[in-house]
Amino acid sequence: MMNLQDFLTMRHEILLILVAVIVLIGEIFISDKSKHVIINLTIILFLLHTIVGFLPIQEGKLFGGMYQNDLFRATLKNILNIGVFIILLQSSAWIRKEENRGKISEYFILLLSTLVGMYFMISSGDFLMLYLGLELATIPIAALAAFDTHKNNSAEAGIKLILSSALSSGILLFGISMIYGTTGSVYFTEVAANFGKESLQILGFIFFVAGMGFKISLVPFHLWTADVYEGAPINVTSYLSVISKGAAVFIFTIVLYKVFGQIAEMWNVLLYVLAVLTMTIGNLFAIRQNNMKRFLAFSSIAQAGFILLGIMGSNAAGVTSVVYFMLIYILTNLGAFGVVSAIYNASGKEDMRDYNGLYKTNPKLSLLMTLALFSLAGIPPVAGFFGKFFLFTSVASLNDYKYYILVLIAVLNATISLFYYLRVVKAMFIDPNDNPIPYFKTDTPARIGLLICVFGVFLVGFVAAIYEAIYHFSSFI
Amino acid sequence: MIQDIPIQYFLIVSTTMFFIGVCGFIIRRNLITMLMAIELILNAVNINFVVFNKFLFPHQLQGHFFALIVVAIAAAEASVAIALFINIYRRFTNIEVENISEMKY
Amino acid sequence: MNSEYLILFFLLGVILVGGAIVFSMFVAPSSKNSAKSEPYECGIPVKSDAWIQFNVGYYLFAIIYLIFDVETVFIFPWGVVMRDMGLTAFIEILVFFFILVLGLLYAWKKGALRWV
Repeated sequence: MMNLQDFLTMRHEILLILVAVIVLIGEIFISDKSKHVIINLTIILFLLHTIVGFLPIQEGKLFGGMYQNDLFRATLKNILNIGVFIILLQSSAWIRKEENRGKISEYFILLLSTLVGMYFMISSGDFLMLYLGLELATIPIAALAAFDTHKNNSAEAGIKLILSSALSSGILLFGISMIYGTTGSVYFTEVAANFGKESLQILGFIFFVAGMGFKISLVPFHLWTADVYEGAPINVTSYLSVISKGAAVFIFTIVLYKVFGQIAEMWNVLLYVLAVLTMTIGNLFAIRQNNMKRFLAFSSIAQAGFILLGIMGSNAAGVTSVVYFMLIYILTNLGAFGVVSAIYNASGKEDMRDYNGLYKTNPKLSLLMTLALFSLAGIPPVAGFFGKFFLFTSVASLNDYKYYILVLIAVLNATISLFYYLRVVKAMFIDPNDNPIPYFKTDTPARIGLLICVFGVFLVGFVAAIYEAIYHFSSFI
Repeated sequence: MIQDIPIQYFLIVSTTMFFIGVCGFIIRRNLITMLMAIELILNAVNINFVVFNKFLFPHQLQGHFFALIVVAIAAAEASVAIALFINIYRRFTNIEVENISEMKY
Repeated sequence: MNSEYLILFFLLGVILVGGAIVFSMFVAPSSKNSAKSEPYECGIPVKSDAWIQFNVGYYLFAIIYLIFDVETVFIFPWGVVMRDMGLTAFIEILVFFFILVLGLLYAWKKGALRWV
C-alpha cells in the first residue's frame, strides 16, 4: 500500500507537472496584454526545477513496479533538464515575435508536457508506462512542429510527424502485444525472467526495435526526419533532434539491457547492421544539403548511428559512453542550433549560402559555430572527440574482428562527416559574399544559452570527474 | 462461450487487421484514410492484448488495462492529428498526400 | 458449440442473402433512366455535392466531448478499487479532475465553447 510520502520518489515528474500547471493557470487568468510575463516566469520556474533536480532523490519503485527511480535515471533526467533549459533560453526571442502572440503559453505547456512524458519513459518499469511516456512525448511535439500556422512547411512537418509517429507506435505496440502474449506480463523484470527465445518473442522484439528506430530515426526508418526538421520552427527542431532523441536513446538502452539482455548476441547483429546503415546514409545525404536545418537533421541521423556503437558495448562502460556522448551531443548540437536560430531570428535566413562571409560581420557567432561543428565532427581538443572515442573503445573492447571492422567503418564515417562540417566553416570564413548577413546583437537569454553550451563543451571534455560520475551512476542500470 | 473459439482465430483476425492497416497506410493517399489505417493497427493490437489476457493469463488484468489505455491514447492522437489536418486544409485546400510535399530531398 | 456449426451458419447466411439477390436479378422488372440514379426518387432535385463543408465548430465540440468522454474510462477502474486504496486514491483522482477541469477552463478561455 502506498502512502503519500512515497510520491517523493517521483519528485522530478511532480515538480515539472506543477510548473506546466502553473503556466496553464497563468494562461487562463493573465490578461492578453501581459502574456509576455509568462516567458520569464517559465524560464525562472524551470531553472528552479533544474536546480532542485540535482538534490539527492529517494530511490524506489512505485505503482507495483510500473515506475522506478534511482540515481542513474535521475542523472538522465538532469541531463535532459539542462538541454531543455538551454532551449527555453534560445527560444525566448522567437516566441516574443508578433506572429506568436496568443500562443506563447501553449509553446511552453506543450514543451514541458513532452518532457514529463520523457521522464516517465525513462523511469518506466513496464511496457505500459513506456508506451504512455512515449506517446506523451511525441503527440504534443507534432502540435509544436506545426506551430508556425502561417507557413506551409510547418503544417506539412506536423502532419508528417504525427502520422509517422503514430504508425511507429502502432508497430511498437504490436511487438509489445506479442511479448505480452508469450511471457504473460508487461513488467520489465517478469518479461526478462520469462524470456525464452521463442520465435514469436523474437518477432515481437523486432517489431519493438522497428518502433523505437522511428523515434531515434535510425536509417531504414528515418524518412520523416529531414522533412520534419526542416519544416518545424527552429527551436522545436533543436528540441526534436536533441532532447526527444536523447530520451528515446536512453530508454532504448535501458530496455535492451534490462529486458532483452538474454538475446544480446542477437540484437548486437541487428544493431551492427543498423549502425552501419545509419552512419553511412546519414553522412552521404548530409553532404548534399544546403538548408542548415536539413543539414543538421542528417548530421543528427549520422550521430544516432555512432550512438548505437556504444549500446553494442553491452556493459557498464558501454552505457557510460552512451550517456556521456549524449551529454556532449546535447551541448554541442544546441550550440549549433543556437547559432542557426539566432541568425534566423535576426535575418530570416537559413541557407548555407547565406552564411558566406559571416566571420567578417559576426565573428563571435562564427567562432561559436565552428567550435560546435568541430565538436560534432570529433576533432581532438573539443569534447566531441572524447565522446566518440569512448563509444569506439567500448565497442572495440568486445575483442572480435567484426567489431574492429565496425570501428573502422565508424572512423571512416567520422572522416566523411568532417568534410561536410568543414563546408559550413569554409562558408563562414573563406567564401566571399557581397552582402553578408549584417552585424546583429543576439538577445541576452540566447547569449546565456550559448555561453552555457560553450562552457559545457569544454567542461565535459576536460573534467574527468564527470565521466567518472556517469560511470558510477551507470552501474545502477 | 468465447472460450470455445480457438485463440488462433482471433490472432488471425488481429494479424490480418494489422497488415491491412500497414498496407492502407502505405497505399492510401488521403490523410483521413491514413489515420483510419492507423486506428486499424491500434485496434488489432487491442484485440491481441485482450485475447491474450482472456485466454492465456485470465487471473491478471494487465492486457485489459493496456487495451484501455491504448484506446484513450488513440483518441488523443486522433484529435491532434485531425486538428493538424484542418490546419493542412487551410493551407493547401485539400488533404491529398501528393499535393503536400513542398520539401523534397 | 463446434466450429462446424459456425461455418454452416456462415454458409447458410451467404446462400440465403446471395440467393435472394441473384433471384431478384432474374425476376424483377428493370427500367433504366437518369431519374433512377437521383438520390431522391420522389422528385426533389439535388442542389449540390454531398461532400459539403461543415462548420469547424462541430469539430471543436466533438473533440472536447471525445477527450472528456474517453477520460471517463479511467474513473471506472478507480471506482472499483477506491475503497481498498483509501485516501491516496481519493487525492489522486482529485488531481486527475483538477487537470481535466483546467483543460476545460482553457478551452473555455480560448472560445472553443462559443458557437460562431
